[in-house]
Amino acid sequence: MALRESSTKAGRNADLALVTGGGSSGDADGNVFHGAFLAALAEAVARWQWGTVADLRRDGAKRLGRQQTSDAILVAAGFNGITRVADAIGIRLDSRTAAASVALRAETGIDAFAHAAKWEE
Amino acid sequence: MGDSAERRDYAAAELPVSPETAAAHTAAVDAFAQPGAWWSGADRLAIVEETRAAAACSPCAEAPAGAPQATAAGHAAGSEDDAGALPPAAVAAIHGIRNHSGQLQRRWFDNLIDMGLPREAYVEVASLVASAVVVDSFALGVGLASPPLPAAAPGAPSFAASADVAHAGAWLPIAREGRANILRALGLVPSAERLFFDAFAPSYFMRPESSFALETPQVELVAARVSAVHECFY
Repeated sequence: MALRESSTKAGRNADLALVTGGGSSGDADGNVFHGAFLAALAEAVARWQWGTVADLRRDGAKRLGRQQTSDAILVAAGFNGITRVADAIGIRLDSRTAAASVALRAETGIDAFAHAAKWEE
Repeated sequence: MGDSAERRDYAAAELPVSPETAAAHTAAVDAFAQPGAWWSGADRLAIVEETRAAAACSPCAEAPAGAPQATAAGHAAGSEDDAGALPPAAVAAIHGIRNHSGQLQRRWFDNLIDMGLPREAYVEVASLVASAVVVDSFALGVGLASPPLPAAAPGAPSFAASADVAHAGAWLPIAREGRANILRALGLVPSAERLFFDAFAPSYFMRPESSFALETPQVELVAARVSAVHECFY
């Protein structure tokens, strides 16, 4: 999850508010091309809202392109699964992953999801 | 149960599906029906069917936030095929992982183990649930139905677990080596690890040749938004 790092490399600083569903401070797309649309599509796939996904799929095919929309759904589907692996095994954050997501963690409060009870015996 | 031609028809999707993705997801569905490390082919299909049925589980939907049900009590078995009848601890594991992944806790896991579910069997359940979620959410996302499942292949589980594991602060031992803990997570049962990561591979930058029609920040945004919705800290 190297959103800030990859967007900086691409010459734009992604607004990480998009990740947590918050409004963007400036550009509604958060400095990611079609960012608001992609965040909405990702959320709909994560919440299994297939009616919404169907609407967004058709919109996305016109707006982004059919392959791009398919790839966004593919990434979302993969993370629908891999988040379950991480949470089902109770893994800890490793230094490599932490280093790749410093900005994201600092700005989104995502570390709050790692509450102490998760590992309490 | 559908035939193989029906199961492989990704060409009917409303959006293009790469041959690599179609092959990976078809291979995962085929693997669901094969005997695994701790479960038979019929058991594994029952786990996938229960994963699908769990989407409509009323007790899960009514559970208060942050409190995944610790036992199988109240979860209606989704499959009427008693060839794959699952123990209550496995049903509870499936519903917890499918429906409450962000709220799972060590005590919930320990309770499943106390109910008699071997750790290795749990790892295989986690892999099957997560793999089914990947395959199904992509299929549904591109306008298809969940892929029909093949008939169960005969044969006994291998009971093959890895001894090359380490305690790294997770709820159970994970692979001793690996670039990141997520890649080590299923290492206790190598066949479970292969099943999941082969299904997942087309969805992220897992290989040097991985590429998407999206820019990298767009891929990362989608990944991060899904993780945040699931309240996954990792």
